[in-house]
Amino acid sequence: MIRVWIFVLGLMLSSQAVAAPVVQQKTLDNGLNILLIEAHNVPMVAMKLVVPAGSRFDAQGKAGSAALLSAMLTDHTQKHDYQAWAAKLDDAAIRLGSGVDKDTMSFSLTVLREALDEGVQALSEAVLQPGWQQKRFEFLQKNAISSVIKAREEATTYAAEEVNKLLFPNHPYGHAVSGNVQSLKQIQLKDLKLMYQQQVRPDGAVLAVSGDITMDALVAALKPYLNGWKGKPVHAFSDIKQPQPSTQQASFVTLDKHQALVEWVRLGPSRHHPDYKALLVLNHMLGGGGFGSRLMEEIREKRGLVYGVYSFFQPLETNGAYTIRLLTKADQAAEAEVVLRDVLQGLADGHISQEDLDKSKRNLVGGFAQRMDSNRERAGLLAMMGVYKRPLNYLQNWTKSVSSVTLADVKRVAKQYLQPKDWKRVLVGPDVMQQ
Amino acid sequence: MRKLLWFAAFFLSFATTAQAALQQASFKNGVNLIVEEDHSAPVAMVQVWLKVGGRDEVPGKTGLAHVFEHMMFKGSKKLAAGEYSKIISAMGGSDNAFTSTDYTAYFETVPAAEVSRVLKMEAERFANLKLRDKDFQSEIKVIMEERRMRTEDDANSRMFEELSAASLRLHPYRNPVIGWMQDLEALTIDDVKAFYKKHYVPANVTVVVVGDVNFQQVKKVVGKTFGKMKARKVEPRFNPTEPEPLGAKRVIVELPAQLPMVAVTIPVPSWQPGKNDKEAAALALATEILAGGKSAVLNRVLVNEKRVASAAGAGYDPFTMGLDLWYAYGALGVGQTVSSFEKSFWALIDEMSKTLPDKRRFAAAKRSVIANAVFAQDSLYLRAKHIGILETVGIGAVQQDKWLDLIRAVQPEDVRDAIARWLKPNRATTGVLQPKRVAVSGGGQ
Repeated sequence: MIRVWIFVLGLMLSSQAVAAPVVQQKTLDNGLNILLIEAHNVPMVAMKLVVPAGSRFDAQGKAGSAALLSAMLTDHTQKHDYQAWAAKLDDAAIRLGSGVDKDTMSFSLTVLREALDEGVQALSEAVLQPGWQQKRFEFLQKNAISSVIKAREEATTYAAEEVNKLLFPNHPYGHAVSGNVQSLKQIQLKDLKLMYQQQVRPDGAVLAVSGDITMDALVAALKPYLNGWKGKPVHAFSDIKQPQPSTQQASFVTLDKHQALVEWVRLGPSRHHPDYKALLVLNHMLGGGGFGSRLMEEIREKRGLVYGVYSFFQPLETNGAYTIRLLTKADQAAEAEVVLRDVLQGLADGHISQEDLDKSKRNLVGGFAQRMDSNRERAGLLAMMGVYKRPLNYLQNWTKSVSSVTLADVKRVAKQYLQPKDWKRVLVGPDVMQQ
Repeated sequence: MRKLLWFAAFFLSFATTAQAALQQASFKNGVNLIVEEDHSAPVAMVQVWLKVGGRDEVPGKTGLAHVFEHMMFKGSKKLAAGEYSKIISAMGGSDNAFTSTDYTAYFETVPAAEVSRVLKMEAERFANLKLRDKDFQSEIKVIMEERRMRTEDDANSRMFEELSAASLRLHPYRNPVIGWMQDLEALTIDDVKAFYKKHYVPANVTVVVVGDVNFQQVKKVVGKTFGKMKARKVEPRFNPTEPEPLGAKRVIVELPAQLPMVAVTIPVPSWQPGKNDKEAAALALATEILAGGKSAVLNRVLVNEKRVASAAGAGYDPFTMGLDLWYAYGALGVGQTVSSFEKSFWALIDEMSKTLPDKRRFAAAKRSVIANAVFAQDSLYLRAKHIGILETVGIGAVQQDKWLDLIRAVQPEDVRDAIARWLKPNRATTGVLQPKRVAVSGGGQ
């Protein structure tokens, strides 16, 4: 019975056209790039405003500035102190948040359709009319210090520090987005003001929207609030050099835990790399596809060494990290690493069949619609498209370009990226593993 | 309820969700089916819910419901170990499962055209699971790694585990769903087989499908698969009455950590429709006032004004089988002490038990609960999960709109009275994570 089903599945997949939603685009006079997917099934709107003000723009020795600035902007405004501001947002069930990654700072807004105007007004007030209260700055700074201290209970925090030293020495990507105790203490309110003036600008910023609204209605709602916002960022988003990894090959940190955290890292592709799609398919096979990926199969399913093992790369404006991560009882770490090395070597040596490739492509292509089945996910995808300047038909072409990846492509990138000797090792755990 | 309608009218306009009517069918052997059609995208969420969870484990066998969940992926008569997920993956779908104290659920997100096939596969493994010792031996190791990752090496969750165990004397919520390590070490494949025989019975099954499907078609497929299984007897679930607390309790957990954490748990009733409607809704709203949104009272008073924590929150789950362990916590920052947090927390609760909630905060909390119900409609996973929970704990998915009506009907006095009745210090257990400093060395080679 199962065999018959598989046969039927094959027929259906080949003829299955994946309908991607249409992306609408408009540029406001001040240069703000608006991207919209209309979805009228739920009476809500999700949006993400992205500006080139990620942690890579933190000043020297002041890691955590961007993160602190994003917290500051959503804490209070010129017109409302933090209490009045919180009450104002809650009155209309406005969900307003902010965050930063290495490249960007983003403000996310989720509102009921009927509260759209209040939502857009609030988003604009947060971004355009900062309050700059010294007392609140000190409060947020203190909390940020507590949370980076709290984060030192987790092995991944230590691993990230080592990865930054190994892959991004003297590079704007080479520090934690949240900063550290010393750097946070160095930051003053005037540093945040400067970063705000330089980078939080509309020309080149992206507003990604998905929900129960049309472009005309959206622009009409935005104009009264965003019109006064003017200018271009001082530091261009695309102005970043490639990271030059250190020559150091490995790093060990002793931490009182039951498990060892094993991370193997190297530089991955940037968003703009011509082999991006081939690497995406390859990584799905390696450890990006969850169950069925080679790492999961060999390390968890066959040997029971881990609960999970994953591989992922962070594609940014230039090369981000490519990471393989697992956690295992400390005395099993060496065994897990041997298997990890063999899996990498096998792929690098070209042990990939057409069937392996087809399986990964089927999962990626077939799963594409699910990656866009909520407003917040769609807004996130649109934001990525806007920031990294993907064409408007990117979503329509996505399945086509994944499908067109050939076995030769995958073998070529495997040979180039998965040689075990090119990966650096980071281990965090009890000292039993330091052999 | 009638007399409160004038009040509800103000909030009615926020309740317009895109929710289609639920369609339900039940089969002679007790299998239950609920479908919510949504044709906005060519995808569907299939979830198979079981009325079995951590609460159904016998002493010495904690973790078994969750171990069993893992074994469902280890092969059946027609599928080899791991093959189930590979087939789902090849159709462009993804699958997984989760276990809680009250339920176990298996789910797949798939292209809508694949729903019938997925339902047939779910029924096949349900009926014909191969429970091989070889697979169990490897999987139990995986689960121990899961426990090490989630609990043993996470100081906060470990404190919460100890706190839960100290909070209740009789109720099975005192045991962690993942199981105590000592029990995991002692489980055998025979335990797994016995569990299968006892609990994986048609009358314990609810199939939930949300997405681009046709109810009649789904009903036909479920009728031919799950609906055809032989009826078997189910025993009533273990659901004891927890004895009333006799005074405050306290547990101190010393672990490698950087900063302390304080948490408070209090046994409270969950929602039993028709029996405690007003009380459960009032508790939910009280919790939202305390912990929901940007103007949450705990955050405003404890974090911003008194500065006794760097973050604070609270939680209440009204959708369980009668009892919930209400909780509040404070993550302490540098220089903040356990005693000042506790003092401020209880002073605040005491004040709220005597005074009516701030009008603006009260209105915002109602609006927030209702808005969250709309936002949850944006996710097929959450929609199906809410239906599955309500069915499995015995509340019933048909009640989901009634819950919002109850929230709308809550009066400020109800909130004050619910806090006064339930959130009392002498009914509470306090857990403290007391850091042993983490030893760190190395970095670089």
